Amino acid sequence: MVAAVSRLGGWAVRTGGVVVLLTAQPPNRLAAQTVDDLALRFTSMTAVTGYEQAMTDSLLALLPGSARDRIGNVTLTLGRGAPKRLVSCPLDEIGYAVGNITDDGYLTLRRVGGGTRLYPLFDQQLEGERVTLFGRRGPVPGVVAVRSTHLTRGRPTGNEAPFAVDNAYVDVGARSRDEVMALGLALLTPVSLAKRPHRYGDRLLAAPNAGRRAACAALAAAALSRPRVRGTVVVAFTVQRLYADTAGLKAVMNLQGPFESTRDVTVGSRFPDTAVETVSLREVSALVAELSRWMGQ
Amino acid sequence: MIIGLVALLAIQDTSRIAEAQTVLAQLVESYGVSGAEAPVRDVVKRLLPSWARTETDTAGNLWVRVGQGDGPVVIVAHLDEIGFRIDTIRADGSLALQTRGGFIASLFEAQPALIHGERGDIPAIFLPRDTGLTRRAPPPLRASVGATTRAGAESLGVAVGQTVTMRKQYVRLAGTRATGRSFDDRMGCAALILALRQLDRSKLKHPVIFVFSVREEIGLEGAAVAARQLGTTPRRVHAIDTFVSADSPLELPNFAVAPLGAGAVARVLDNSSITPPAYVDSLVQLARTRGIALQIGTTNGGNDGSTFTPYGVVDVPLGWPLRYSHSPAEVIDLKDLVSLTDLVRAVAEDW
Repeated sequence: MVAAVSRLGGWAVRTGGVVVLLTAQPPNRLAAQTVDDLALRFTSMTAVTGYEQAMTDSLLALLPGSARDRIGNVTLTLGRGAPKRLVSCPLDEIGYAVGNITDDGYLTLRRVGGGTRLYPLFDQQLEGERVTLFGRRGPVPGVVAVRSTHLTRGRPTGNEAPFAVDNAYVDVGARSRDEVMALGLALLTPVSLAKRPHRYGDRLLAAPNAGRRAACAALAAAALSRPRVRGTVVVAFTVQRLYADTAGLKAVMNLQGPFESTRDVTVGSRFPDTAVETVSLREVSALVAELSRWMGQ
Repeated sequence: MIIGLVALLAIQDTSRIAEAQTVLAQLVESYGVSGAEAPVRDVVKRLLPSWARTETDTAGNLWVRVGQGDGPVVIVAHLDEIGFRIDTIRADGSLALQTRGGFIASLFEAQPALIHGERGDIPAIFLPRDTGLTRRAPPPLRASVGATTRAGAESLGVAVGQTVTMRKQYVRLAGTRATGRSFDDRMGCAALILALRQLDRSKLKHPVIFVFSVREEIGLEGAAVAARQLGTTPRRVHAIDTFVSADSPLELPNFAVAPLGAGAVARVLDNSSITPPAYVDSLVQLARTRGIALQIGTTNGGNDGSTFTPYGVVDVPLGWPLRYSHSPAEVIDLKDLVSLTDLVRAVAEDW
């Protein structure tokens, strides 16, 4: 418990890999606003681990020449010859999938990803908030039920344990199972908190998974800036990093390796695992320049 | 795509549902924490029919008087919503908050925030807790504008006394349902506006005063001012406010079971008032005569009309079923707003 709470404190890099020190940077070919826009765009997307296709579709459209492998990773090869290096970022996020649909039109959930190290209040962030269900007919808005404040009055609440995913009933406005199915929703439909990235302060960006998405935005921006590349650099946006023993990254290495060196792109974030995970867009801009330089070294 | 779904639903709407949604969405997407209702009051003024003449009293209540004679019927809905007020700007730049109204604080924790400043909204976040894991009782919530000093926060326009909320959006759900925050009591305000638009003023048997009240969530303060001003003269008062419904998988079904979509609800017994049985019978007859869907129920909460009862004025509160009250994800059914509008019009014209 103490460890989990202490993670909320200062700025922290959440994933492993190379920690990038960001100091003075050379001019970036992309305007800072463009990098900010990409970060905003990426944080508004959802890619529940194992269900990243919508986001990888967007990446394929964004990055001319990129390709998707069988497991779903999107890769873009820059340059040619030796040395052959890999630079990657993780696309996926911990999320939910529909586990059941009740007769009266509510959906219940199971979590996808996340383990014992997960922030203890992670699931509680669903309670009484808006969610998006990514059904076969497109995204469907819903909310997670919460007890009405007024109806708790005068009734003992006790020392309640944190809200858990088993307490989550998703209300999409349907009155029956048939109405739910008619919306294109079914078992295993991916579900996430509604994504509403929020800029505040001095170029700060708050959103779920902001650190991971900002890292991918920086990598995409660097690739789009047409950097001078020494040898071959494989740029990889990897899926299923939170599941099956980082299956996506290992697949890239097995399918496209061997690599002389690999680099995992990370961005320091504050309040990790919360809906207001915060990154500094100033640092993201600096990272773009640093990545472009690394590709040419 | 979500917009596409909403557009598809809107195409299928009847004209009454469409008008109800247009009015309600504008009210829901305006901000007005108790004591800072001016933005909502301005939206109400804009949505009223052009013939309506408004007055704002010293408390901030907005009045619309219709009809002639003595013994008015008063119909009141509240403008304000729950939220926070900045209590202190701390040395580290974070903002200590004071709650305005009753709600589960954890629902705001670690969410984007908006500070309503003099020169517009200032984006911020509600900080996640750094101690304690109790489900619904986090340590007192604080907000951050990203500044690390008091001077830094002030330089962004932050000041003690400003109100703080979470960003709101009206979102259409399946069928005729919708979600958002502060349906309590923008649904009531919408019902008054829609009823005023449809009112047949030539049919009024007595004057009717429509009051859009302030500071309901912090103790019915605005309505109390109106009640004191009118004294014993009103013949009846109708608070038009939420019927907090147990139509949810998380609620006990012991009382307050009023299904969404089944129509307006007479809030006969709550924590502040009891409607005399003869009035309930008469109301049921009125609804039946005009073909209005009406449910009868009991729920928790207080209502503005109760401030009139000490003057001998009977309170007949009316509402609509609401799920997940005072949360960011309240859910309503637009059919209930249409039904409530008809009922407000009926009690003004025929009762």
